Amino acid sequence: MAKQIMITDDALFMRVMLKTILVGGGYSVSWEANNGQEAVSLYRQHKPDLVLMDITMPLMDGITAVKQIKSEFPDCKIVMCTAMGQKTMVVEAIRAGAKDFIVKPFQPERVLDSVHKVIGAP
Amino acid sequence: MKVEYVNPFVSSGHKILETVLQEAPDRGPLAMLPSTFTSEQLNVAVGVTGDVQGSVIYGMSLVTADKVASTMIGQPIKTFDQLAASAIAELCNMISGNALTLLSEAGFVCDITPPTLIRGSNCKISTLSIPTIVVPFKLTQGDFKITVGLKSRK
Repeated sequence: MAKQIMITDDALFMRVMLKTILVGGGYSVSWEANNGQEAVSLYRQHKPDLVLMDITMPLMDGITAVKQIKSEFPDCKIVMCTAMGQKTMVVEAIRAGAKDFIVKPFQPERVLDSVHKVIGAP
Repeated sequence: MKVEYVNPFVSSGHKILETVLQEAPDRGPLAMLPSTFTSEQLNVAVGVTGDVQGSVIYGMSLVTADKVASTMIGQPIKTFDQLAASAIAELCNMISGNALTLLSEAGFVCDITPPTLIRGSNCKISTLSIPTIVVPFKLTQGDFKITVGLKSRK
């Protein structure tokens, strides 16, 4: 079975774009979350192989969500995917437990390279 | 308003519009606006907090929004639906996010709020005491204005 990925982004457009890229790369996008809170609860239920996580989102931001998921599931694999590329943000995300940091706008290859590096082939 | 707060939005606007729309935009001269100005047909407001605070408002006509969203989605849109609105909001979010990266390199660490879409061309928008500067871009799809109203937190 293809590896299961969860996309977390408040923008429908981004979820559609990321899903197209990932499915095109052979991965399966099984869950989509609108905000950090939804991501934490979906992670508990399904434990996806990888999470793509935006930062600026309503209700709960991506960094808080990473910390929460990491505290409950230390082996979780999360890649940040956000327009906020400032150094403090990257450092905070990596410290919180994210494996990689993709800055929007991105090329499809950048996303697939990162996913491949973290969880391997589909 | 300090020019060092506006320049990141000029550079970021240019870079992101070119990357996302695959075509270099033309930029018109910057202009000062009073803190109260009239909205465009479609506006996206992004709040900025931190060392520098205020808001950045992106404005365009509905025709331009339709065309930009079509380019981003990769096919013509029939109605300005949720996906199209989300594409426009995300474009403005990317410009803001990249501008904040440049601001942080200049020593101002800030954060942004999720974008808010406002439709209606006769609204009066006020940034209260913060004067604004408008950065006008000309795209193949139409005019795209970035109105920056930011001030130092102190």
